[in-house]
Amino acid sequence: MTSRPTVTIHGGDGAPTKDTHPLPSVFKAPIRPDIVQAVHAGMAKNKRQPYSVSEKAGHQTSAESWGTGRAVARIPRVSGGGTHRAGQAAFGNMCRSGRMFAPTKIWRKWHQKINLNQKRFATASAIAASSSAALLLARGHRVSSVAEVPLVISSTVFGAAALIKTSAASKLLEAVGAKADIDKVKASRKLRAGKGKMRNRRHTQRRGPLVVYDGEKDGKDLVRAFRNLSGVETCSVYALNLLQLAPGGHLGRFVVWTSNAFAALDSVYGSTTEPSELKRDFLLPSNLVAQPDLAKLINSSEVQSVLRPTKGGAITKRGVVQKKNPLRNKQILLRLNPYAAAYHKEGLGHVKADTKPVEKDATFEATLMEN
Amino acid sequence: MPAQYENISQDLIWEVVRHRNAYLVKRKTGGGVQFSRDPMNLTNKHSRKHAGFVNEKAIGVAPNDNTVQLTTKTSKPHQPAKSTHQTSFSASASNRKVYKSVVNSTAKKGYRSDLRAEAVARASAIKQSQREKKDAPATKPRGAKARKAREE
Repeated sequence: MTSRPTVTIHGGDGAPTKDTHPLPSVFKAPIRPDIVQAVHAGMAKNKRQPYSVSEKAGHQTSAESWGTGRAVARIPRVSGGGTHRAGQAAFGNMCRSGRMFAPTKIWRKWHQKINLNQKRFATASAIAASSSAALLLARGHRVSSVAEVPLVISSTVFGAAALIKTSAASKLLEAVGAKADIDKVKASRKLRAGKGKMRNRRHTQRRGPLVVYDGEKDGKDLVRAFRNLSGVETCSVYALNLLQLAPGGHLGRFVVWTSNAFAALDSVYGSTTEPSELKRDFLLPSNLVAQPDLAKLINSSEVQSVLRPTKGGAITKRGVVQKKNPLRNKQILLRLNPYAAAYHKEGLGHVKADTKPVEKDATFEATLMEN
Repeated sequence: MPAQYENISQDLIWEVVRHRNAYLVKRKTGGGVQFSRDPMNLTNKHSRKHAGFVNEKAIGVAPNDNTVQLTTKTSKPHQPAKSTHQTSFSASASNRKVYKSVVNSTAKKGYRSDLRAEAVARASAIKQSQREKKDAPATKPRGAKARKAREE
């Protein structure tokens, strides 16, 4: 077993401090986009409010069918006279002012139950994914100027109400190299397409860094300091939420940890053998394969030692190559006909045939012309 | 000391990001082409071989100040600020010298030798785009116009 990886703790000026922290076991959790997507899809549904069309819609008329024999369809028709509405078809989903097909009901199944263990698995997976710079880049975070991933900032920066102003919070994020990401978020603010504009969802914008803190030790002042920074979210390490760790179900959120929150991860999630202190009966999921690097697997001595040697030796099958003319190209000719070398050397192609043609018989011509 | 657990590999990252990532450009036209906006992608094609942000070793060639900038990856993937190494060439260096430097500092050292041709091709295309355009030659009048021009 190799030594446990460590993460450098960075100071408020963005420079690395002397302190390090071993990487919590939760970062060893399997990266499972399938589980994260399924759990996210369920969780995203749990904030919905019921809606439906009015129960009465399309039925507020005393229409009756005219029955057969009137040379019109048997659909109910509005009774009475003296107005255009009289005699018009009603009720049906195909009718003007009729009810919709299968009117929506408020008792639709709006919320999804998700197994607790799956939710915990997905959260652990999303946390582990946040430690890969490649996955952050793939999610679209601008992290190329960030010192280290996962990014841990010393809690002394936040402790004892040291960070209560938004300007200080902004400066801190700039110092640790997160400014590019915040600028991207700011520039991404656009008017939402569609009706959401009039339903309190006027703008869309990307998500920036997520600041994870330990509310008991860091205090909660930093929440107010960060909350007016566009795109920056804060979350307690004890209440990490998949909707924030993997927005849209996409792995690789840029997370900024306070050192206290980072240290708390081991007690929150435990390890694959030690149950979590705070989550009952929770062991971190194990990876199905110990070595996910295919090249390393293939080149490992275990695999290489049981492979049979390559067949065919030095002669390899030629792939798609240009066909050469053996009559013009001597090497190709020799490959097809090894005797050609001797034939050429002896000059057999130039030797005159020493047998003389046989004299024709006297009767030959006569026989030929006979018929 | 390793900086990360061994649960994430290039192969895993590729499987996670191959269907959607921030660099991927999908279009329905052209038979559903897939391109990549990754700066470390030499051909701008969305593929495992050319995905610069996925591979531990990758080459980026980009235009820079009338010359070419070569980017390679260092062995510090978890430190994004230090994860790339940039080299630039003199603007007056000849094209062939630039190609040679690109190859010498990458493929020849055993650093992604499979990308040798692509790296040179990209550097060449960039150098070509940076050439000053010559003015089109003056048109030679013919026929009636030529006669008119001669008379004047």
